[in-house]
Formats: sequence, C-alpha cells, structure tokens
Amino acid sequence: MLNREPGARTLPTFITLLVMGLLLMTFDVRSEGGGVTGTLRTGAQTIVAPLQKAAAFVVNPVVNMIDSLSNVATLREQNIALQQELAEFEAALIAVDDDLARLEFYEQLYDLETSGTDIGRTVAQVIGRLRPDASDALIIDKGTSNGIAVGQPVIDTSGYVVGTVQQVTAGTAIIVPITVGPDAVAVIVGEQAGVVAPQVNTNEMRLEIFDAREPVFALDRVVTSSASVRFPAGYPVGEVTADAAPSVGALSTGVRPFVNVDALRVVVVLAWPPDPVTAVSEPESEETSTTSTIGSGSTTTSTTVGGG
Amino acid sequence: MRLRSLVAIATLLLLAVVLQTTLFSRTRMFIPDLVMLVVIVVSLTRIKPEAVLSIAFLSGLMVDLLGSSVLGLRAIVFTVVAYLAYRTRDRADIGRIVTGLWTGLLTLGGVLLLIIVGTLFGQTVLLGEGVLGRLLFVPLTNLVLALIFTPLLVRIIDRDATALRYT
Repeated sequence: MLNREPGARTLPTFITLLVMGLLLMTFDVRSEGGGVTGTLRTGAQTIVAPLQKAAAFVVNPVVNMIDSLSNVATLREQNIALQQELAEFEAALIAVDDDLARLEFYEQLYDLETSGTDIGRTVAQVIGRLRPDASDALIIDKGTSNGIAVGQPVIDTSGYVVGTVQQVTAGTAIIVPITVGPDAVAVIVGEQAGVVAPQVNTNEMRLEIFDAREPVFALDRVVTSSASVRFPAGYPVGEVTADAAPSVGALSTGVRPFVNVDALRVVVVLAWPPDPVTAVSEPESEETSTTSTIGSGSTTTSTTVGGG
Repeated sequence: MRLRSLVAIATLLLLAVVLQTTLFSRTRMFIPDLVMLVVIVVSLTRIKPEAVLSIAFLSGLMVDLLGSSVLGLRAIVFTVVAYLAYRTRDRADIGRIVTGLWTGLLTLGGVLLLIIVGTLFGQTVLLGEGVLGRLLFVPLTNLVLALIFTPLLVRIIDRDATALRYT
C-alpha cells in the first residue's frame, strides 16, 4: 500500500527532477545553446533586464563611492602617474598628427581612396556580471535595439579585445570574455600566425603557433589576425609571458591578456563583420574586404572568413 | 502552498537574482549565492518538501536561463541542495548559529557539486581562476547572511511571527 503521508513522495520527486535536469543539460549541450533553449534564455533575459538596469542605476553610484573612499589614499599617487601618462600620450598624439598629415599628403599624391566602410561602434555600460558562476560573463545595457547581434566582437575603451556577444535581448547583451572561451582566437605575433585559447584555472591564455619559424619573446605583442572570423585584424589581445622557441615546427607559450575583465565598466561592441548575414552564409575561405579604423588611421584589411 | 507564500518566494528569488548580478558582481570577497540561500531558507519553512524541491529546481533553471552555463546545471545542484536541506533541517533550527553553520555547509556542498557536475558537462569555466576563493567565500558569505536573515525570511514566507524563534 502506498504511503500518502507528507514526505513520502519526496524521493520520487527528487529523482524525477534530477532526471529532468540531466535531460535538459544533455539537450542544451547537444543543441549548443541554440533552438528552444536559446529562445528561452532570450525571453528570461528580456524579463529581468529592466530590473537589472534599474538596480545597476541605484547600485553603481553607491559602489563607486565606496570604492573611491577606500582608494582615497592611493588617489594622489595615481593622479601623478596619470599626469605623466597624459604628457606621454600628448606627445604621441602630436607624432600621430604628423603621420596623419603625411598620410594625407601621400594619399593626395597617389590619388588613393579608402574602400568599404568604417566599423560601427556601440559604447555600452557594464550593468552586471554573472557570478559566482565564474564564467565572469558581462551584462551590458545595449541590445538588438542598438544594433547588437550575437557573435559581434567586443573591445574595451583602449581597443583591447574583451570577448564576443554570446546572447542578446532587446535591451541587454551577455559578453563572454576571451579568457573563458570557449573558442580560440586567431592571432599574429610578429609575423607568425597562431591561435590563443583560454586555459583552465588561470586567466593566462595559451598561444599555439603550428608552423613556427622563429622564436617568440616575453612581452611580444599579440594582436588579432586577419584570418580571424571573430575579430577584425590588428586589435591587441595581450603579451607573451615567456620566451619560447619552435620545436618540431610548433611553438607554445603563455599570453597575458591586456584587458582586466574585473575592472571593466564600459565596453565597445563592434559591428563586425559589416554584413553578418553574408559572413554567416558565405562558404569557408571567402575573401572579404573590410575597412577598419585602428588607432589613428583608416586601414584596409583583407579578411578570410572561416578560420579561427 | 498558499498564494501569498508563493508570491513572497518569487519576489525573494527575483530580488536575489537582481542583487546577485548587480551589487554582488562588484564585490570581491563578499560573494554570496543568494538564490541558493533562498532555496535553503525555503526548506526551513512549512512548505511541502515536494514543493520545496520544485521551487529549487525552477530557481536553478531561472539562474541557468539568465547565465551562460549549460541549462539545467544549477537546477540539478539547487534540487540536491534543497533535498539535503530538507533531510537535515531538524538539526538546523536549534539555534541561530547552528542555522548559519548548516547553511554554510549546504552552500559548500552546492558549490562543490556545481564544480563537479559543471566539469563533467564541459563547463571548463567553472574551474577558472579563483575556484578556491569561491569554495571559501561563497559558503562563508551565505553563512553570515543566513545568521542575519534566515529567521526573518522564514517568518515572511510562512507569515508566522513565531517561526524560528529558537526556543
């Protein structure tokens, strides 16, 4: 005879829910976050997003004030350092202005014209983080209504690579940093092409160059490659942490990302590739021409869709 | 389960999610798992255990839907935590400190399970930098919050001013 006392159905309920959970996990892993689960996620985020924005509006000034008060002792030193940095940047800016004038002169001289369009940029505020999930995914206050789409690259205000848009609702988007993956990024170190991939247990990433011809050295700059389908070329990713020489044609070493995800308050979402529909539907190794504004000038880069 | 209790739990969970992703995303040491805390607190109320398990499952599902981890991961973890909480709750309501310690232990179990199940399903991000810190600070923070808020929350959900008086 079945026991109808309260609690008698607890174990069957528990086991049923566990099985349902496992089925959901399997389904989500198999569908790679798309389909029904993707729609459900977008719906849930759309509902909660206004509350998160309201909470961020209230919480951020308070937390900023507490941060400022706790850091008041170091502010004076920071101020002096920033003044020095500003002077250096002003000097660099003057040099860049000279280069620009020279570039304009040569463009007029050789009758050059830029091709394509500049990459659109959407500045967004970080309104939250998914913790203690440890994925450290960022929630930003811009979404599809601002032209943001899944897969678009995200940089910080200094131009350093942050990650990519993983999910998007009308008013918010979730950014997954490159340091937690899941995919590798095609990069260039010096003149050698490779990939950097996230690692378990550390923020440091792993650089792999499969046809290495020469060594790489600590503090070498790692930038995105034109072979990347996820990022426009030329954006700084990080710096090499240790010298490494080729071994049997391959090379592997660590890369310290330039971006500090914890400190991010504002990010920039790039409308790249300029025509995402074409980029998705075109077959591999499709050559597209993109014009990107990196640093001071406008440069034309040839991008290979379908690798990295 | 009465409608008022349900509304109270839904409101608490929504508040927990919003605070978790905004206020506590900016703090480094004080990193609670507020939704897990609410699930543990709900197991101390007079709500039927089947309903508690369902609430835990749906809460986890909600966090999964809002996050970037695999769907169902937290649903499973929170359900297990709620089941353990239900099975051991008789030992928890003998004093405020015991309730806090009990919450901390359950949270530790939940975080460990999250790491293990997440790793099994390829969520390598769960083994990212600071796992040890998370194993330490999340249970500790939940312990502190449980010490302060558990009796109040149980009274709100049960609508009983005499609940959890630790006599």
